Amino acid sequence: MAIERAWWRSGSLRNLLILLILWEVVGHLKLVAGGALPPLSAILIRFWIDRADYPGHVAATVWASVLGFVIGNVAAIGAGVLFVLFPRLQRLARGVNIAVFALPPIAIAPILVLTLQGMAPRVVLAALGVYFVTMTATVVGLSQYDTRSADVVRAYGGGNWRVMKLVRLRGAIPDILGGLRIAAPNAVLGAILAEFGGGGRWGLGTYLLGSLGRGEPARLWGIGLVATLIAGASYAVFALVSARILGSTRSVTLNTALPPSDADADAPLALRIALMAGAAALPFVLWWAFIRLTGVPEMIAKTPWGVVDYLFLADASATARAKLLAALAQTLPITALGMVAGLGFAFLLAISSRMIPGFIRAFMPVALVTQTMPLVALTPLLVLMLGRGLSVTLWITISVTFFPAFVLLVQGLQRVPQSVLDLPRAYGAPAWKELRMVSIPAALPYLFAATRLTVPRALLGVMIAEWLATGTGLGNLLNQSRGYLDYGMIWTVAAVSVCLSVAFYYAVLAVERRVLTRLGMQVVE
Amino acid sequence: MTLTISRRGFLHTAAAAGATLALPGRARAATPFTMQAAWINDAEFSGYFLAIDKGYYAEEGLDLTYLPGGPDVIPESAIIAGRADLTLTTPDTTIRAISEQGAKFKIIGAQYQKNPIGVVSLKKNPINAPADLVGKTIAVPPVNIVTVEALLALNGIDKTQVNIVPYAYDPTPLVKGEIDASLDFTTNVPFTIGQLGEEAQSFLLYDHGVTLYNDTVVVTEETLAAKRKELVAWLRASRKGWVENLADPALYPPQWAETWFAGTGRSIENEVFFNTAQKPLIDTPNGIFAMTEEDIEKNIQALAAVGITGSRDMFDTTLLAEI
Repeated sequence: MAIERAWWRSGSLRNLLILLILWEVVGHLKLVAGGALPPLSAILIRFWIDRADYPGHVAATVWASVLGFVIGNVAAIGAGVLFVLFPRLQRLARGVNIAVFALPPIAIAPILVLTLQGMAPRVVLAALGVYFVTMTATVVGLSQYDTRSADVVRAYGGGNWRVMKLVRLRGAIPDILGGLRIAAPNAVLGAILAEFGGGGRWGLGTYLLGSLGRGEPARLWGIGLVATLIAGASYAVFALVSARILGSTRSVTLNTALPPSDADADAPLALRIALMAGAAALPFVLWWAFIRLTGVPEMIAKTPWGVVDYLFLADASATARAKLLAALAQTLPITALGMVAGLGFAFLLAISSRMIPGFIRAFMPVALVTQTMPLVALTPLLVLMLGRGLSVTLWITISVTFFPAFVLLVQGLQRVPQSVLDLPRAYGAPAWKELRMVSIPAALPYLFAATRLTVPRALLGVMIAEWLATGTGLGNLLNQSRGYLDYGMIWTVAAVSVCLSVAFYYAVLAVERRVLTRLGMQVVE
Repeated sequence: MTLTISRRGFLHTAAAAGATLALPGRARAATPFTMQAAWINDAEFSGYFLAIDKGYYAEEGLDLTYLPGGPDVIPESAIIAGRADLTLTTPDTTIRAISEQGAKFKIIGAQYQKNPIGVVSLKKNPINAPADLVGKTIAVPPVNIVTVEALLALNGIDKTQVNIVPYAYDPTPLVKGEIDASLDFTTNVPFTIGQLGEEAQSFLLYDHGVTLYNDTVVVTEETLAAKRKELVAWLRASRKGWVENLADPALYPPQWAETWFAGTGRSIENEVFFNTAQKPLIDTPNGIFAMTEEDIEKNIQALAAVGITGSRDMFDTTLLAEI
């Protein structure tokens, strides 16, 4: 929220203006990659010439995004309420939740196009983009309620459901709105990515595809900016709504009693093991059910067993395994590198924003824009600037990873209690020493949360770069498999990339638990 | 905006379908028939657009639904999944699927007698033959890498001597000199390069040993058995559309500015260029879509060079004979 308020301060506006002027000058002088970055005025002129093209595409994208947003959020809020009412259900669904969170859209899009038709792939990809964010926000919001109000309801004879309805749901509204705000741009980006790949005539993604072959950077930037505008507007709508609503739902005094924890620690071991096994199996059951329900023939739609068969039992399985391993050997090291680079970049930004308070304000608008630009449009231009080597992959990966990590880290640094900060200051410690000894250790839970968030996005970034720029690794394998009609490989790459993300996620979580337990800190969800 | 129209269109069709069901005495409704195209709407599919607009499919008793393609759309998937009755494919992909995966496909016609795919370069740095590619960087869509490898193999060039990078459908890197050549439709991208102030140079893969068709008309064996009459009707109507379109390639694209080509982001001049350039590649004295024994043999031989085993029985020329 501090972020949005900062937006409107004149400093931010001034900085933005400086940036725009700089853009214009750089564009006119063709300083970046021989004119790959056109001046803003050229983009606007091009937009004006193309104005008749936009309404149909914007309408289709908005329609798919809204539909996906609504469906995804209804599912997310419903699931969140169920999870809070029945904590064991949440444990059971854990595997599915993490899988949805971790799936790289670029690997899923071809599968959706194979199994669904018409608008459905776009809507599903948009819905998948919003589910995890809103579900988590709902669970957090419902779990942290004012126990005193619940006591009042109970004293008057209200049961669990009444407490849910009268206290917890109301208390959760600010959190849910916060979730929706972050989810909204995700829906737009999901829809555009599916449009780009999935046929059909309308949608900004389709427009982008038709325009790529025209060699007109101004048009590409124009489409990118319109997409950014739509995503930004959807963010702003929910920011406004939550600002309006927040005022009436805050409790006036602070309740120090935490709500009872729902940990299932005292359940019998057998039940805990059963729940864990169920959680691991459920994503595969859903995958299998999805294929049965869509009724797509076996040749195209592989079940989990189909993928196992393809990789280990079929005649060509040895070749398939070799191809997959070769691709992984190319993709994994660079993903790890990209993750470290993205986190490092976010960390540096968060630190500098602490040291130079005006920094966030100047940087935030730019950062927001980079997050909502459709990367597929800009990759050819990035290639012109950076070539096709390691650096383009790293930059693409950094650009998709740093932002969420940065937001979390800033949050972590901001939550360091003032009284703790006062101590080193009273002893005259320089800012850097204070940061090293107090702020950074105190923000450690957020650093871990940021790392968990970064893993799947790093894989996404690397795959996009491989697909469009370097022609190596998983991203390329996925794309090349289309030309071979190698459906088994398409499903395998999707499944492997999701499994990898989930495995990474758990690896970080395991380290996180150990470290934080030793330091006596709590895990940030 | 367009969504409302299409939804209204859908409701209209639904209502009409309901009416026909309710009134069995009325004239027999046209048979629903769906085709899956290989790419987004451009001049590559002019013949079909024309035949739809002029009602040639309707005259043949077909109620045609046209599905555009895109990068993630595998045309063959549409016919396997039963979403379309017929599709346009690249023959190497289709034939590999038949021979290696046992897919039950039949090729019943070929839109391009000569594949329009070629190596496009700039006049100031020309690449006139496969041998010129040695030591150069060529951008290739990942789905077409096999085709380029075929070209190199057929011309005795070791593929490690050529730097192959992914092509993102954007000619900018070529014009800026980041790459030396790209693999693209020679009927299309030279226009864009001209617009960007450079002159394009290109050669067809077809002229250097990769003697393949393109946009081969493919159906499943099941559809071939069940809908033979409709398939012949489709071929007849489509041929009529193509003949009329190619008679004056500059005539029709401008008429589709607000319909088929609306919002594609491509210019009408580009489509006219495309339509004109593709004429010699589609036109044949044997009738559009024709597959002569000699040409089928050439396709099989070209594919053999990259280890794809094609055979005569993958092609069915009997429907063409019935047109």
